[in-house]
Order: sequence, then C-alpha cells, then structure tokens
Amino acid sequence: MASTGQQTTSLKRRDSLVTREGDQLIITPLGAGNEVGRSCVYMSYKGKTVLFDCGIHPAYSGMAALPYFDEIDPSTIDVLLVTHFHLDHAASLPYFLEKTTFKGRVFMTHATKAIYKLLLSDYVKVSKVSVEDMLFDEQDILRSMDKIEVIDFHQTLEVNGIRFWCYTAGHVLGAAMFMVDIAGVRVLYTGDYSREEDRHLRAAELPQFSPDICIIESTYGVQLHQPRLIREKRFTDVIHSTVAQGGRVLIPAFALGRAQELLLILDEYWSNHPELHNIPIYYASPLAKRCMAVYQTYINAMNERIRNQFANSNPFDFKHISPLKSIDNFGDVGPSVVMASPGGLQSGLSRQLFDKWCSDKRNACVIPGYVVEGTLAKTIINEPKEVTLMNGLTAPLNMQVHYISFSAHADYAQTSTFLKELMPPNILLVHGEANEMGRLKQKLISLFADRNTKIITPKNCQSVEMYFNSEKMAKTIGKLAEKTPEVGENVSGLLVKKGFSYQILAPDDLHVFSQLSTANVTQRITIPYSGAFGVIKHRLKQIYESVGSSTDEESGVPTLRVHDRVTVKQESENHISLHWTADPISDMVSDSIVALVLNASREMPKVVVESEPVVDEAEEEKKAGKIIHALLVSIFGDVKFGENGKLVISVDGKVAQLDKQSGEVDSANEGLRERVKTAFRRIQDAVRPIPLSAS
Amino acid sequence: MGTSVQVTPLCGVYNEDPLSYLVSIDGFNLLIDCGWNDHFDTSILHPLSRVATTIDAVLLSHLDTLHLGALPYAMKHLGLSAPVYATEPVFRLGLLTMYDHYLSRKQISEFDLFTLDDIDSAFQNITRLTYSQNYHMTGKGEGIVIAPHVAGHLLGGTVWKITKDGEDVIYAVDFNHRKERHLNGTVLESFVRPAVLITDAYNSLNNQPSRRQRDQEFLDAVMKTLRADGKVLLPVDTAGRILELILILEQYWAQHHLTYPIFFLTYVSSSTIDYAKSFLEWMSDSIAKSFEHTRDNAFLLKHVTLLINKSELDNVPDGPKIVLASMASLEAGFSHDIFVEWAADAKNLVLFTERGQFATLARMLQSDPPPKAVKVTMSKRVPLVGEELIAYEEEQNRMKKEEALKATLIKEEESKATIKAELPVGDAMVIDAGTTHTSSDAAVMHGDAYRDILIDGFVPPSSSAAPMFPFYDKSSEWDDFGEIINPDDYVIKDEDMDQAFMPVGGDIDAKFDEGSASLMLDTTPSKVVSSELTVQVKCSLIYMDFEGRSDGRSIKSILAHVAPLKLVLVHGSAEATEHLKQHCVKHVCPHIFAPQIEETIDVTSDLCAYKVQLSEKLMSNVLFKKLGDYEIAWVDAEVGKTESDMLSLLPLSNPAPAHKSVLVGDIKMADFKQFLASKGVQVEFAGGALRCGEYVTLRKVGDASQKGGAAAIQQIVIEGPLSEEYYKIREYLYSQFYSL
Repeated sequence: MASTGQQTTSLKRRDSLVTREGDQLIITPLGAGNEVGRSCVYMSYKGKTVLFDCGIHPAYSGMAALPYFDEIDPSTIDVLLVTHFHLDHAASLPYFLEKTTFKGRVFMTHATKAIYKLLLSDYVKVSKVSVEDMLFDEQDILRSMDKIEVIDFHQTLEVNGIRFWCYTAGHVLGAAMFMVDIAGVRVLYTGDYSREEDRHLRAAELPQFSPDICIIESTYGVQLHQPRLIREKRFTDVIHSTVAQGGRVLIPAFALGRAQELLLILDEYWSNHPELHNIPIYYASPLAKRCMAVYQTYINAMNERIRNQFANSNPFDFKHISPLKSIDNFGDVGPSVVMASPGGLQSGLSRQLFDKWCSDKRNACVIPGYVVEGTLAKTIINEPKEVTLMNGLTAPLNMQVHYISFSAHADYAQTSTFLKELMPPNILLVHGEANEMGRLKQKLISLFADRNTKIITPKNCQSVEMYFNSEKMAKTIGKLAEKTPEVGENVSGLLVKKGFSYQILAPDDLHVFSQLSTANVTQRITIPYSGAFGVIKHRLKQIYESVGSSTDEESGVPTLRVHDRVTVKQESENHISLHWTADPISDMVSDSIVALVLNASREMPKVVVESEPVVDEAEEEKKAGKIIHALLVSIFGDVKFGENGKLVISVDGKVAQLDKQSGEVDSANEGLRERVKTAFRRIQDAVRPIPLSAS
Repeated sequence: MGTSVQVTPLCGVYNEDPLSYLVSIDGFNLLIDCGWNDHFDTSILHPLSRVATTIDAVLLSHLDTLHLGALPYAMKHLGLSAPVYATEPVFRLGLLTMYDHYLSRKQISEFDLFTLDDIDSAFQNITRLTYSQNYHMTGKGEGIVIAPHVAGHLLGGTVWKITKDGEDVIYAVDFNHRKERHLNGTVLESFVRPAVLITDAYNSLNNQPSRRQRDQEFLDAVMKTLRADGKVLLPVDTAGRILELILILEQYWAQHHLTYPIFFLTYVSSSTIDYAKSFLEWMSDSIAKSFEHTRDNAFLLKHVTLLINKSELDNVPDGPKIVLASMASLEAGFSHDIFVEWAADAKNLVLFTERGQFATLARMLQSDPPPKAVKVTMSKRVPLVGEELIAYEEEQNRMKKEEALKATLIKEEESKATIKAELPVGDAMVIDAGTTHTSSDAAVMHGDAYRDILIDGFVPPSSSAAPMFPFYDKSSEWDDFGEIINPDDYVIKDEDMDQAFMPVGGDIDAKFDEGSASLMLDTTPSKVVSSELTVQVKCSLIYMDFEGRSDGRSIKSILAHVAPLKLVLVHGSAEATEHLKQHCVKHVCPHIFAPQIEETIDVTSDLCAYKVQLSEKLMSNVLFKKLGDYEIAWVDAEVGKTESDMLSLLPLSNPAPAHKSVLVGDIKMADFKQFLASKGVQVEFAGGALRCGEYVTLRKVGDASQKGGAAAIQQIVIEGPLSEEYYKIREYLYSQFYSL
C-alpha cells in the first residue's frame, strides 16, 4: 500500500501516492566499503541522519585520502559518532568539522578524545604533503576539540530523536561500538572490535538488545587468529633468540593501541628474565610518550586485571622500557629492541631503522599487526630478495621478517559467534579487503542459511536501502483516557509528538503532560456608535440565526449574544463593545458585527427595510454546486460531470467518482480517494454556513 | 491505571538522620540508600531489619556513610541479599569511606558490627553503572528501567530515575545545581513532569553566599591563621567533599606560591587521590577539558602531602600548617585526636566545612556560642603486656587446640563416610583415564582422592586415611585403531596458561596503604584503653558551608521547574520539611507527601492511559506544527482494531465535527514586549498590563505565579477601541501561538 510514513514539518504535504520514503533506511559507506581505511558510513532513516566514523585512507594523501563526502550533504547530518582514535576512523574529522557545512554534533569517548588531539597533531607534523594538499592544520584540530562532545560507555544520549549509546569494543583504549535507535529501529556499528580480552583491554561486549542491522568490520575475513598466548610466546621467543644472538629487533608498530599492549608484554617478559636486563628496549615515539598520561588515567576503560594492578602501582609505569626521542639519540651499539612508528614502514623512524638493519641477517623485524595494502611492511611479509631503500637504492633483504598478528580485530571465530548470538536480520560488511569480505560473506551465508538473514557488502557510495514498517504507537493519557473507547467510537484530541513518541491528550491536559501550554485570548473592542441599540439588534437578527438578548448583571446595560460567541454590549451612549474569545470563527463573526455596526452608524438616517429575500433552495444548491466544481477543478484539474450528478475526477490516469450528495468517493486508487474526500469535505465546510453547534 | 508506587521511609524523615527509603513499584521493592550515622547506632536500623529480606534491589546515591554506611551490616546481619546498583566512584570511594570508618573505629573501640571482610563482600554485590545508562531490570522487576544521573554534591553522586511504563519516579537528594571545581551541576532540571519526585528538605531553610565570596572568606580565614603562626584543622569526610577542598587549596597555593604545608590525613588518603585521578570522566567539563588539552591531571597534587598515619604528622616540624583529616564528625578518626591536641591553643583554627551530624562533637562545637570546654573520650589501642598478654595467649592456644580437635574429628567423620561410600563400589581400580593426564597441579588437587583408593580384599582400619602409598595403574582402553586417545589432552591449555600468565586479580582490589594494612594484619594482641578528659576550647571555630548542596531558594525554583505530579519530601529537620511542604503546596503541586518513618504512602498516579496504534491512513492526513522539541497536531479519529487486537486509530468516515480551536504556546509578557518593540510598536508596562501603542492594552489574568501542576490555561485579555492598531497587535499576538 502506498502511504506516507512520516510527515515533515513543512506545510507542503508529501504526496501520499508515491513515497514510502519515511520508512526507508539508507546506509551508504562513504569509505571502507570493500576496502580497509577511511571508515565512514552514512545512515539515514525517517529524516534523521547519522554518520559513523570519519577516517582517512592511510595509503593516499591529500584529498584523495578522504571518504567520498561529496555524496552527501554534510549540513543534513544530525550526529557524527567516532568509534576510536585510529587515523582510518578519525583523521578526517578536523576537515569535516572545519571545512564543510556540517553543523551537527560529534561524539566520542573520553579516552578517544584525549588521544585524538595528540594523534592528529602528530599526524599533521609528520605528514609531508605540500601546503596546498594539507587537509587541515593544528588550529583546525584545536577548534574541532571544542565541538567534540564526550560520551561514556553505556551512557544513553538523545539528539533530535536519535537515541544512541556505546559498548566497549576492545580494539584500543576508548574504542566503542555504537548502537543507534531511531524510532525503534536499531543499528549497531561495531567499528573495529575484538572479542578477545588482552592485557589491558576488555573484550567487546555483547549488546543486550539485538539490532535490526549490524554494520560489522570484516578485516580478517575468514582467517583465524592463533590463541593469544601462543602469539605472545612466538613474539617473545623471536625477540629473545634474536637479541641472544646479538641481533637487533625492529618492531614497526603504530604508536598507539597495539604498541601499549606489546610494551606490557615486553616489560613483563623482561621482568621475568633477569638475563635480558642489560638489553635495552626503546619505544621511539614521542607521541606514545605523550599519550602515556592518557593510558595512566583512563584506567576505568580497561579490564579488571589492569584495574586491580592499578591498586598497587600503575602498570603503565614501565621498568625496563625507555622512550627514544629520535634516531640521533640512538647509540645502536649491540643488541636492542626498538619499537618505532609508523607501522607500515612508509617513512619516519621505523623506516630509517629498517634501512639501516635490513641487510644484516642477525637482525629481525617483527610485524605485529594488520598491514595495509601498498605499504613496505606488506611487501616484506612476502620476503622478497631485495628491497628499495628510502634513498632509492636497492638493498638485499637479509633480516628475518616475522609476522605475528596482535591486531585486535575479530577473526572469523569471533565474528561468527558474535553474530550468532546477536542474530541481526541484516548484516552489512565493511572495513575489509574485497576478497576477504567476499569469503566472509559466503561463509556467513552458509552459516545463516536456515534463517532469513541478509548479508550485504556494499562498495563505497553504493547505497543499501531497507524498509522498516514501523508501527506508530500513541499513548492516550489524561482526561481523554478516562474510558477506553470501543471500536467505532471517535477520539479527538491533540496529538503531541516528541522525538518518536506520540501522545494524544485533551487540550486541557496539555500543560500537565508536556511543557507546552494553551492560552485563551479574550478580546474586547469598543466601537463608537451613537444610534439605538435596537437597530443593531435588528440587523444582527437578519444575519445570524441566534441572537440572544439580555442585560448585563453588573451595569444593567443591554447586551446581545451573537451566534453564541460574541457578546455585544452597549457601554455608553456613544460606544458599544464587543467581547469574545479568540478563535477563527468568533473572529470572523466579530468582524462582521464590526462591519455591520460601522455601516449602521454611517447609514444612520436611512431605515432600510429589506424585503425578506425569498430563498430559492434549488437556486442555492446550484450555486453551491458550481462553486464546488470550480474549486475541485482548481485542485485536481480534470473534473467532469458524470452520471447521476456525480463528478468524475481524473488525475494521472487514475479516476475517482465523487457523489456530491453523500460525499462518497469511488476510486480504485486509495490515495486519490482519500485526497478527493478530504478536499471535498473542506470545500463543503467552506461553502456552507457555519453550523451553530460548532463550539 | 498507572503503575503502583509506594514509598516507605525507613530512616531519615523529619530529622537529619541517615537516609534509607523503600520504594515499591508494582510489588518490586527497591531500597534507595542504606545509610548509617557516624555513631553506628544499630537502633536506627530497626525499620530496615524488618523489611531487609523482602528487598529486591538496592540503589545507592552517594558515597558517604549517610547514604551507604549500613550496607555491610545489613548484608551481614539483617539478611539483605539483593543486588546493589551504584556508579563506579560511589563503589570505589564508598568502599574507601567504609574502610576509613572501620579503621578509625577499631582504633578506639572493640568494634564488631562489621569487619573489613564484610565490607568487601557487601561491595562485591555492586553492579556499576555510568551516568544516563538505562539499566533494564530482569526477573521480578521486568519492565523497570533504572538510570543514574548527575547529582552534583559528591563525585559519582546520583539522581536515580526509575521508569516503568513511561512513568518516571525520580529520587533526588543532596543535589547541587551549581557547577563546582571538580563536579558538574545536577541535571535534575532536565526532567520535567515526573510522576513522582522524592527529594530532601535538608537545605530548604539555608541560604548560601555566592561561591566566589565563600571561597574568598574560606581562604582569608585560613591564611589569617597561618600568618599568625597557627595551625588549621579541617575535619573532613573520607572521599567526598574533600576533593573540592583539596582543589581549592591546591589552586590557591599554586597561584600565590605559598609554602605552608598541607596534609591530607586519612587511613586511605593515597588510594583516595589515586582513584580520584582515574575518575576524570566523572568530573566537571573543565577538569576533563584541561586534561584533554594539556594532559594535566587536576589531582596530580603538588602542594598537598598525603598521610596515612598520624605519627608521620607528628614528625613534621611544628609550625603553621593545614591538616585535612577524617572524620568530619570529630567522633573518631585522626581529626578527633588532632582536635584534642590543638584545641587549647588560641592561635589555631578548626574550620568546619559541613554541618556536623546530630549529637556529635562537631555539632556541639558548631553551636552558637561554642562551648568553652568539651568532654572527650580519648581511646587508644595498646599492645597487651605482662599478665594480660599471657592470659591472651593462653586463651588463643586453648582456642586453637579446640579448633584442631574439631578439625580432626570432622576429618575422621569424612574419611569414614567416604570409605563407606566407596566400599560397595568394589572395583577401586577403575580410575578415570582422563584424570591421569592432567597437569601436575591438577594431580595435586586430585591427591586427596587417591588416598581413598582401596585394594581388593584389604579393608583398611577406619582410622587410617591412606592405607598404602597411593598407587594407581594407568589403565588404557583399546579399540580397533589402538589406544583410545582423548584429543583434549593434546590441546594446549589456554586457561592454564592464562592463569600462569595473569596473576589472579583477587576478589576485590582491597588496596590498603601499607600502614593501615600492617595495622589490620597486625596480629599483636592489643586492647583499647579509654580515658575521659576535658578539653578547653580556646582555638577559633568557624563553620562554612562547603557541603555542595543547593540552597533553599534554588531548591524551590528547581522544584517549581521540575513540577512533579506528586512530591515526596524526606530528610530534613521537622521545620525544614514543614517549610518546604508549605511552599510547595502553594507553588509546585497540590500532592505533597511527607511520610513518617515506616508510614507507607501510596503515590500511584491516578493517571488514565491506554495505547493505540496510529494507522498510516490517519497519519498521512495529519499536519504537524513544530513547537520547540514538540510537534503538535489535532486529530479526529475513529477507533478500530488491528489484526493483533490492538486499538487503532483510523480516519473518520464522516466529516469531523468542528472542535473548539486551541491556541498553543507560552507567552511571556516581557518577551512579547520585546517582540512588539522590535516591530516598531510603542510598548510599556503600566499597572500590570502591557500598553501597546496608544490605546490597546494587553493583560494576563489569573494567578500567574502558580506554576506546574495547577497551572491553568493562560488567560490573556486584549482590549482597545476599534482601530488599525488593534488589529495589528492582535495579529502579532496570534503569531505567538499555534492555533489548532
């Protein structure tokens, strides 16, 4: 059936024949659709718009790294939710906030916000793009900080009727999964998540409520992770044997997130192995050093283990690890372990050390996390014979390369159990390479074969449309609800909508159940009139059906009650007053009385005796018929007289027949029928005299 | 009919006793707050003891003893076993507060109402929530949603919102609408028209000076004493308002580069500050902002020294200093001892930052005029010596022996029982093959079991636990493919490794400062020695209100704004309660309740309501008008039924009857005056009416001061002679409303 869901506030009524726009939910990945990087997912339902994440693509630079913002109108977005601080989820935020028309609200968790600023300032400093290509500068970041609001885990907020809250995602400190509820339809956006508890983070929570749509990452597709402890053992073994043989270990890692986890592992391992105490561990990242205060503070976002350790001493006060400012401060004598950023070995310190160490076979490079396509780290995983150095020369790759994934993304086992428990009817895969995503999709399809689960893998800018037929429920309260009505009875009252909840109540109750209030406006107007009061009475009687006369109790002056609405009172010799309660009909009646009184005083001398007009019923009917016809033509265009005095209205090939006597409309098209009916009713109201019982 | 709601105060009405109220929602019993006073007087818990076992959930609002002090005792002795809900800071700092109380009490008396273990186990039951988290109750409370909201006053302080079927019951005591250094103001004002509001009258007769003025007076008083070479004692609570005081001092010291030492002395002071450092997300926006921008944690204290032991304070050279010590009541704790030492010196200052609890030393000293001398009991725990020690040891030995005897008896019983149980089984050689593969620690665990192995034909004497060296044969089963193997045996045991890697966190991280830990774990036999002495109070005594609660005037305006349908008043002296009641009847709502202890009042809303479905057909013809957050429209509909037997609203089949038009909107005369002025109309107020232009007057009639519940429909009168102006002004007036 065709119907409109949601009325917009604009007075232009949506054509009920065409759209179900209101019930349509659109999700469009602006980035991270069939790719990893520049996460940004657009969602719109019932005129409310949410944007999840706002990242950049680490393999591109300048404008090319941005998500496809051109696809949307930033000014229409109500809420922007950022899941965590990684560049591919948050780094286009300053651009989006400062350089576009976006005027909604932005939310992220406390820890994310604190690190976001440090991370992006660093990003601005490090990235070596030309000034024109700069997406934003330090000032933009500082300004964006003022606009970003914070949300705590589980805290429920409501903006513009959009309700949302977040769950722990486990990926990095402060990482969140957002659940958005618009008019009862729930969408879960996981961002990057991990269901495995590690040394400092909690595992991603399982939401209490099953969402209608789950937008989930698919970075690792159908791969399975090794158990964490085996990974840790491999990691420490490789490092131990390398340094024992006098080699150097390079761990290219992104400065934040996994790096802290690895440092916790190394610090603990070193504590347990006194023979290693003379071998230094460095983390060569001033950024990580700066962020340490954040890690030391937001203990409450971490797991029980850290919180319990915190009771004794802060676990992020490392005993065997020292920060390294730059390569110039680095002696490089003998074995050492250096953790340096960036993780992809694109440039910077990790690349400098790599260039220095790659040709010595005693050395080792441990790649601890997911590496993005197109970076050197991805290349060396395949162990080529030679690599190209920063200065353009080639060098043999002799150092051992180990890939031990610590990246806190869900693997297939986690993803499938998560989805099985959550049971969302619609699953949208994002944040994964096309191939991995395809494999995951196939596997999930077979997993959920017996259920009606839709699994969708949209590409960037490819919109997914879904329909949710949400029932609108209203609560009738107060005086109107004193008795629950039977079928067939009428209910009339104010329909009050706030967010997506509806209430029906009597006008008198409005102030009780909402912050709105109603008012009565009493009007009193005085008109100079020096004639006889009787004249007015006489004239009014000619026009109005009901003119009651009495005398005012206080002053004893004669009064008239016209149409049960307006009181006319003779205030003095020279004035009469009109007194009524404002209301469109009363206003009209009073206007006519004013006109009449003015006329009467002007035409004072004349005594107009009007002959009682003979009302020709048939003539009247004919006149009304003409008017109705003319008005219908002005609305619908093609209106013809049909059989039995019916009117035939045709719009766009659809035909409706209107019976003028009964108001019955006959049409195959329900939408048209309703519209003709409504139009006819309103025309009827306009051409007939106002019934006395209107009040 | 709406949800049934009953309120029964268990403690803390018509007086300033601790808070504890029973709220029953459709038969689900919620205990809101579970407070105790500083005397730990069991008599005030009688009402609680009568209902403790029927309670289904406990909600805590603040971290001080007045709000949660009785929790360990009630859990241990009164049979309270319901789940408890509180915010993270209330949980952590509440725990510390209880520790501090226990340790202070233990120092001066044989305190046996509850132990540290009782505190731990009581707090273990707490489910921690964050602000505005909607927590859905399950089981008996199905359908009830609880949500904590910011209350101000103390860190993590909570205004509880309990919702069932769209009706809100709000519990808001000790809220503070003012933003402070470390806390945001309450969000109570954002709730409008709840069905029931339970609030306190504690401060309804109080008025406060502005924050700036109060802070200045405070610092002036402190500085005056210090400059005159005096010492300042601030008796404070353990972990609540102290944070604000520390920030005030810390900031002032930093601004003025002062060097007078400040000491914060409680049994748990360093833990308190450590936790405070990690609770930034619960504090004010400015604290969060400064951390985000500069990573400066406000509680990284530079001028305040944390002490957990009074002897450390005694080692500090004599001279001007500030000591913040618990308890605020001066009944126990370090503050008590320090007060006794310092009171006799006229140079010193004792500055109370909160009103003392009733019948405490602090309250006595706050009276006007202050007493010249007070009698205090000095108690001290001293190690036992000489004969007492010997007697004690003998007693201990005797008890140990008894216990050992008991234990052996029990063991024998057990072994007998197992032997009896095993005997009929006969074949003792069948041992589960699985157990033989377990790692060594598992074997140790199973060690006991092997003791009971019996050899065929040999019946051991009942007294012997292990008749022979426990030997077991590795029996293996074979099938067509050889020995049956259990694949699990070859799996690397994650859990085992996990345990090896991760030190087990322990139940609750009972972090004690070393000093207190040694004190607690100190098994040296000791006893309490008390002596009474009279202390001459020569030092100056000042009371300043740093309680961080809204004052009377603000409470009234907040209540008027919230405008609950029903209001329940608790906690506050009889006069204060009565005063607020009278005020609210006039200005807030007609349904005000101030129940006595154990008096159950029914605040079930007399609201009628039913649900209907809005059909698409109806909605497509509805034109909404937007008014602030609301959209509003008039509907005329016919009732129908949906397939699922719900009532549904359908469009009318015949033309709608005309209805009286409704003007919706709220007009403020002052605003309207501005509006007219901006339109170029001459306006002025004259005799309660608005004179617009030359002739037209506009008046609001009816009692405008009555807000909320009784607020009737606004009556506006516009009067004037027939003129163009009249119609123009009427037009402007109409533009302020929506006509439906």
